[in-house]
Formats: sequence, structure tokens, C-alpha cells
Amino acid sequence: RLMQVRWSRYNPSFLEPEVNKELYQKPLEELTEEEREQMELKAVRPIKAAPPSLSSSVFSDPMVSKFTNMMMKEGNKVLARSLMTQTLETIKRKQLEKYHKAPENEKETIECNPYVIFHQALKNCQPIIGLSNITKGGKTYQVPVPLKDNRKRFLAMKWMITECRENKHRRTLMPEKLSQELLLAFNNEGPIIKKKHALHKMAEANRAYAHFRWW
Amino acid sequence: EIQWGEDGRPFHFLFYTGKQSYYSLMHVTFEKLLNVQKYQDQLIAQDLPLQKEKRNLAGSRWLTKIELEEMLLEKLSDDDYSRFIQLLQKLVALPGSDIEEKYIQKFSKEVPVQMQKVVIEPLQHDERGVAFSTGEGRRKTASATAVVYDNGTGKMTVNGIGILHYFPVLQDSREQLLFPFQFLGRVGKHDAVCTVSGGGRSAQAGAIRLACARALRSFVTEKEVEFMRQAGLLTVDPRVKERNKPGQEGPRRKFTWKKR
Repeated sequence: RLMQVRWSRYNPSFLEPEVNKELYQKPLEELTEEEREQMELKAVRPIKAAPPSLSSSVFSDPMVSKFTNMMMKEGNKVLARSLMTQTLETIKRKQLEKYHKAPENEKETIECNPYVIFHQALKNCQPIIGLSNITKGGKTYQVPVPLKDNRKRFLAMKWMITECRENKHRRTLMPEKLSQELLLAFNNEGPIIKKKHALHKMAEANRAYAHFRWW
Repeated sequence: EIQWGEDGRPFHFLFYTGKQSYYSLMHVTFEKLLNVQKYQDQLIAQDLPLQKEKRNLAGSRWLTKIELEEMLLEKLSDDDYSRFIQLLQKLVALPGSDIEEKYIQKFSKEVPVQMQKVVIEPLQHDERGVAFSTGEGRRKTASATAVVYDNGTGKMTVNGIGILHYFPVLQDSREQLLFPFQFLGRVGKHDAVCTVSGGGRSAQAGAIRLACARALRSFVTEKEVEFMRQAGLLTVDPRVKERNKPGQEGPRRKFTWKKR
């Protein structure tokens, strides 16, 4: 009999909570078929408690909280959160400096919202295709494999954090280095984008082994 | 029970698999699946529309492993059971599965939809005529009680201290405290006086959040209570610290493996 190692305190019939206020204020007619089914299911099944990082206010963003959790060391959420807010602040400052120095016609192209920059930068860093090790006939080959959305987001965030922790001068602080990297990624430059392109090139080079994949 | 004849040949053709009833069940179900596919093909050939009747997802559940074992009079493994359920789900997902409804109903059970009806307490009024209501909440060893008053300015007091002083650093916990109010759109309209004990910073914040959400039920329509429940505000968080096990250092971490 298999012993479950990854289990949760909730019964498997519990559903995930939906925090977005606007979805609840939509009138019934505007919902699609699937959403109606979802609503009926939710009316009957019990629902898990909302985790402490999730809230319906405008300031909570699931992507940002995921990134903060990944940056956190030894459970020090306070420090991770403050680093994140400082990073967003530095991004805003840098962009505002650029904005005030730029001539009139370029002022509209400069993006000042740090959340937009964060999302766009991470989106630019996401690889489309990944490599996985498949053993066939005694030899291990690197086979190009399509990645799921979650995996892409995780890889982008992981590369960002490792890049900022390792390749920096001893005296620069994390928020400054992170904001630098995010701005470079926003413009499709920088070491993380290079890493993504290197991965794509490896996948293209190993195209011959693509038929080894059975899923 | 003897499953072979006088000459030693078994009666059932799948006897030598070891799990004859399970495999015969899988064969029969797969045959039904193929029938449904054939029926679908016929409908497409005659250009008739494929009807999809919505099965009541919410009201029925599949048989559990123990019930299936009783039905088949054989032991099953978890893997076998999950494969069978996957096959049934595949059968149900096809549009033409209406012809096999009877067969599917043998393996599904009605779940009583009645969930525990929670009694919402009516509002109480204190000496000055201000309406208030109480709520209790727990999270991970922290327990809190909240008294939410109407016609307020949005001030919140915890153990006699304001929230800005009680939770000095964490923005997360302050967001959590205001979550129920912000969700209902009543941020500046209620006053709250809370008492909390036990747990840590985050646990106390979660306990107060639950207590406030429970107290707000009396101020709000039933539909909004349902919305709060679907947002996860009214469920008690069952996650607690896992116990340490003997033979290991912590709840999951094992002792350092030494080769010799």
C-alpha cells in the first residue's frame, strides 16, 4: 500500500478560495457556461481558508507574493517583504528620473508603474521550451520538452534570484541589483535573457532527440 | 469458494490474472466506452446534434475504494482503484454517455447536499443603542474574540492597544485584519475591539481576521455571507505545526545518513 508523503490537512473535496471582489458582483447573465458550473459546485462543496498572503486589496499581487516567498530565507518574511518593497521603490525612482530627463515626445513611451515592469520583465524571462534528461539505451540525452506555465514562471523567478545573489559586487544591496536586472529584462537585455536564449539554442541543437519524449 | 471445475480448469477466463472481478469490470467498462464512441460516430454520420446533458457534479460522488472492494469481493490496490475511476470519468465526459446512464449509476452515489446550516446571530444593542456583534476565531494556537460595533470610524483595538502599535512591522497582518471589511466594502464604517492570546504575530492576525469575519455575518445579507465563504474568510484554517516523529530529527527531516 502506498503511503502518501505529500498530503494536506484539508479533505480533497475542498476547493480553492476566490478573492477577487469583482467576480462576485457580476450579474448572473454575464457568466459563461463553465463559470455557472463552477458557481454551482462552489455552492455545495466546502472551501479552504484564504492563506495569509492573499487578500482582496489592490496591493496584493499573487506574482509578487510568490517572488517574495522565493526570496525569503529561513522564514524571514519581514525582511523579504521589505526587500521587495524597496526594489519596487528603486524601480519607480529610476524610471521617474528617466522620465523627467527625457524630451517631450519620448515621455509617453517610458513606463513608470513598477508592477507593470515587474510582470513584463518576468514574462520576457520565461523560457518557452525546456530540456529534460531521458535515459535510453544506457545513455542520458537532453531532450527538448514543452514546459507548463507554472514551470516557466518558476524558472524565470529562480534565474532572477540566483543571478542577483551571485553576480553582484559585494557592496551592492539586493534591491538595487534586482531593480537593475528587472529593468534590463524589461528591455529584453541582460544576463537572464541571455540564459533563456542559451536554453532555447540548446533545445534547438538537440532537436534530433525530440522523438524520445513519450508524453 | 471453488472457482475451478473437476478437470482443474477455472470457470472465469481471467482467473489467472489474480484479480478476476476487477479486470472483468475494467473490460466491461471499456466495452461500454467503445459502444458510446460507436453511437457518437453514428450520430455524426446522420448529422444529428450531440446532446450533452449536464450531470449533477455537485450532488454525486464515485464509490470509495472500500465500497468497490465490497462490491467485487476482492482486494484492490490504490492504483487499480484510481485507474477505474479515471476510466469512469472518461466515460462520463463523452457526450453520448446517456445510453450508459444505468451502468454509471451503479458506481455513483448521491451525496446529501445539506451542509451544516450555520445560525447567524441577530445584532445586539449596547447602552447607547449602537448595534454590535461578537465573533471568535482560532488559528494555530492563537484564539481571538472580536466585537464589531456599527456607526464607527474604522478604529481597531487589540488587547487595549491600537493595531498600528500592536503589529508594528508587518504590513501583511494589517492587510489581513482589514480583509473582511475591504471585501464587503465597509472599511470606515465599523469599529472593532478585539482580544487575542497565544500564537505568534501572523497566527494572531489570522485569528482576528476569522473573528471579525464571523462577527460581520450579522451585519450583512445572506448572499454576501455566501460570498465571504467562497472567498475563504469563514473557514477555520486547519494547518497546525506537525508533530515530531521518533527516529527523525523533526517532522520531516531525517537524521544525517552516515555510510559507516
